[in-house]
Amino acid sequence: MASVAGSFMASLSSHKPNQTLTRASNLNAVSLAISGKSFPSLKLSSAPSRFRVSCAATPETVDKVCHIVRKQLAVPEGTAVTGESKFATLGADSLDTVEIVMGLEEEFGISVEEESAQTIATVQDAADLIEKLVSKK
Amino acid sequence: MLPYFSKLGSKMKIRCFDQKMFCTSAFSPLQLPSRMETHLWYVLPNEVKSQSLLSQYVDLLSPHEKDHVFSMRGDELQKSALLARALVRTTISRYQIHSHVSPTSLVFRKNAHGKPEVIWEESDDWHPPPLHFNLSHTSSLIACGVTVGSPIGIDVEEKQRTMKNRILSFAKRYFSREEVEVLSAISDAEVQRHEFIKLWTLKEAYVKALGIGFSGAPFNTFTIRFRAANSRPEDSTIAIVPLEKPTNLTTNWQFAQVELAGTHYAAICRQNDGFPGGESMKVIVRKTIPLVEENRIDSVDDLS
Repeated sequence: MASVAGSFMASLSSHKPNQTLTRASNLNAVSLAISGKSFPSLKLSSAPSRFRVSCAATPETVDKVCHIVRKQLAVPEGTAVTGESKFATLGADSLDTVEIVMGLEEEFGISVEEESAQTIATVQDAADLIEKLVSKK
Repeated sequence: MLPYFSKLGSKMKIRCFDQKMFCTSAFSPLQLPSRMETHLWYVLPNEVKSQSLLSQYVDLLSPHEKDHVFSMRGDELQKSALLARALVRTTISRYQIHSHVSPTSLVFRKNAHGKPEVIWEESDDWHPPPLHFNLSHTSSLIACGVTVGSPIGIDVEEKQRTMKNRILSFAKRYFSREEVEVLSAISDAEVQRHEFIKLWTLKEAYVKALGIGFSGAPFNTFTIRFRAANSRPEDSTIAIVPLEKPTNLTTNWQFAQVELAGTHYAAICRQNDGFPGGESMKVIVRKTIPLVEENRIDSVDDLS
């Protein structure tokens, strides 16, 4: 039952030794986690911040990305999806990831190369990449 | 030519594992897979409900793994991430390779492309076997494949998974032209969807076996081709056909397709070390609840 898992997983999370997860929007937060639960061949995970483009995406773009992600991953109502949200922690598997990229390509009329797609870790990353590709059109 | 491929595609032998054979003790030593075998272990999250058991799983994890599990957004995702780590740790330890190998003692790292692997504690007296593993999961099933002497990639998908994009649009964007032709030739939408999912798992398993990441082997740079060994479709084998020259894609790989629990398609890819005539991979499937039980699952040949 989801509610049993819910209250239990919440109580389990007090086991974790590192209570503070720093998450700052402009800092590429150092991810200590090993995303080793599975190895999706297309992995949207921690990327060095040197790939971050200087023009930040507009809120409208971020919202559109959030909407596409929320729909693809069937994110429950109570779970927030924001610019900081990581695809991996929202439960995206490799097929979800590719579907999301395709959805973004269709929504914004762009084409995303595999190398670029692999550098996207968060919704914000995706939105920034979209702005960059749209401005190049 | 094309209808022949699609006929092969839909008749590729897919083995159904959905009947319990027998339950083995969780603690008796288990032989590592031989070099001709692949072991496939899976757990169904729905079957793990005990709070104390989940707590035991948390205690198996490294601090980094715990951080990762609890960073997942939502309880079911956290449970799934927890089970995946518990599965891989208990599965590798299950072979009782050495007294110092236990679920908690295992140390993992990622290779240069992000593929997880074990760092073994070697000594003058002990060198670890060339054990390889790969994980895959859906929300309702988590699987771990184990081989000795060959890299392995696996992928599992729910049979009932639906796509948000139109299948042929998606295939045109990401698959090879030949694969699109095979899928396009399937007139029944539901059959097409099943074949699409199976094809996805095969391509994904191959790229994961290679261990060079999605951008190292983009899906449209190779075709998965079903090739007849003789006139019987169920004896067909799968070949990798690289589409670019030169290519860094190797082709000495063999595949198996299995159906798990009646609900999932799984593809397994491992190296084909000169077995004559493309002999089919021997796969031993075990369904498990880590630390509690395991059941070897017999296969029922399904020639659909």
